[in-house]
Amino acid sequence: MMVDGVTDIFRRVLETGEVGTESDFFALGGDSLLATRVLSAIARKYGVELSFDDFVLASTPGTLARRIASATP
Amino acid sequence: MRVIVVGAGLAGLTAATDLAAGGAQVSVVEARDRVGGRTHGIEVAPGSWVDAGAAYLGERHTELNALLAELGLKTTPTTMTGESRFALGHGDQTRPGRFPPLSAVALGDMFELLDELTRTIRLDAPWLTPNASYLDSVTALEWAQRKLTHPDSQLFFPLFLGEMMAADPADVSVLHMAFYLSSGGGTRYLNAFEGGAQQDRVYGGAHQICEELAARLGDRIRLGEAVRAIRQNSAEVVVCTDSGELRGDVAVVAVPPLLAQAIDFTPALPVRRATQFTRGCAVKVHLVYPGPLWRAQGLSGWSVSAQGPLLSTVDDSPADGSVGVLTGFVTGLQAHRFSALNTPTQRGEAVAHAAHLFPDLPPPIGFYVTDWVHEEYSHGCYAALFGPGDWIRHGPHLRTPHQRVHWAGTETSTEFFGLMEGAVRSGHRVAAEILTRHYSLGGTA
Repeated sequence: MMVDGVTDIFRRVLETGEVGTESDFFALGGDSLLATRVLSAIARKYGVELSFDDFVLASTPGTLARRIASATP
Repeated sequence: MRVIVVGAGLAGLTAATDLAAGGAQVSVVEARDRVGGRTHGIEVAPGSWVDAGAAYLGERHTELNALLAELGLKTTPTTMTGESRFALGHGDQTRPGRFPPLSAVALGDMFELLDELTRTIRLDAPWLTPNASYLDSVTALEWAQRKLTHPDSQLFFPLFLGEMMAADPADVSVLHMAFYLSSGGGTRYLNAFEGGAQQDRVYGGAHQICEELAARLGDRIRLGEAVRAIRQNSAEVVVCTDSGELRGDVAVVAVPPLLAQAIDFTPALPVRRATQFTRGCAVKVHLVYPGPLWRAQGLSGWSVSAQGPLLSTVDDSPADGSVGVLTGFVTGLQAHRFSALNTPTQRGEAVAHAAHLFPDLPPPIGFYVTDWVHEEYSHGCYAALFGPGDWIRHGPHLRTPHQRVHWAGTETSTEFFGLMEGAVRSGHRVAAEILTRHYSLGGTA
């Protein structure tokens, strides 16, 4: 499941296990610098390059996974 | 026990305070006609001060926060509201937040690489980091040329390093870059305002810390006496200034390594204090306006520019709202270029740059340039830059006493190196070192 993969990326970058599908990245202490690391990891893992603005609009593993899926050819 | 402290910056005065509290008879010798070292205040309006030097702190700076509390000094948050301005070569842009209009994936790739690197650092002994000999032999510039393939990360990397550590990438080894980022709490913490190392400023200015410490130390501090030589034998240590000699049992040298190196030691130091070290290249510019006028346009005062002189700006207006202050940071290569200009040219460039970033700004009512690169008694800011080979050669000796001479200063702290917190920690560490050594040898106060 893509959402599990995105959740794992959140956990690694935020250095916390407390991440669920609906956890908001910024509410968990994420900031723009850490967000770029998530986007870098997503690009490597799924081959999808999202922008920072995309991330701001989809900052939970669930919404982000849907965004990646819709961008995947 | 008589202790002579050389340098009345944060490290020296913290050490002197602890040593005096521990029963030592302390004298502090300072070359400048003021205390504070790399903290310095400028009064931009009656009673309103801005920081010409070190300014920011965060929650993890526990020793500094404790010291502020002891001295009755307050902090004020650096909260930014409004949009940022970016001049990064694709036309000027106004955007919410601090994120630059560059490829997030490319910057993320860069931060992932930096994070991977900082994780490997042995903070207690950076020279023992796995692969240290390689990391210490390559400059950050060479590393970036090899690792950063996207034009956006190539553009952003020198700006980031300039802002984080006032370094041109050619001046520091990869080991020093990774150490610095790790020492400051990691890339995210060091970069962040809210929740990071720039969360707060000292209300009324960071220069008050040393002024308050100095007030308590009273006439134990001698200003305007540059130390030229330190001699020692089995009986005592003699600190020589232009106007005389001070005799003690122990000395603390609490000045940056490049200045410590310039002191004539007898017997000579077994290991030099610095070889490739270069000066941190930071020039701070303050533009004073009748008020924080950019806020009326919904702008925060934060900006990032690829071209100098003001590589970044931040709203440093005093909390009382008396005036608006835009602080410009000129770092890295730009600092060298800018500091070579005459004052009218500096002013012309800085005012034009600010007006370009924040349209409709009138000419400033005040203008200040603080050139730390050429400060005779700092030799650079934020801190000394360790070049290739320096960590392996000098790292193991940074804190090793030279007989009766002990070392302090932010560059001797592997925790929060280069920051006020590192200076305070080094002061506590050196005082404890001296008091323990003295009393364990059966000494009396």
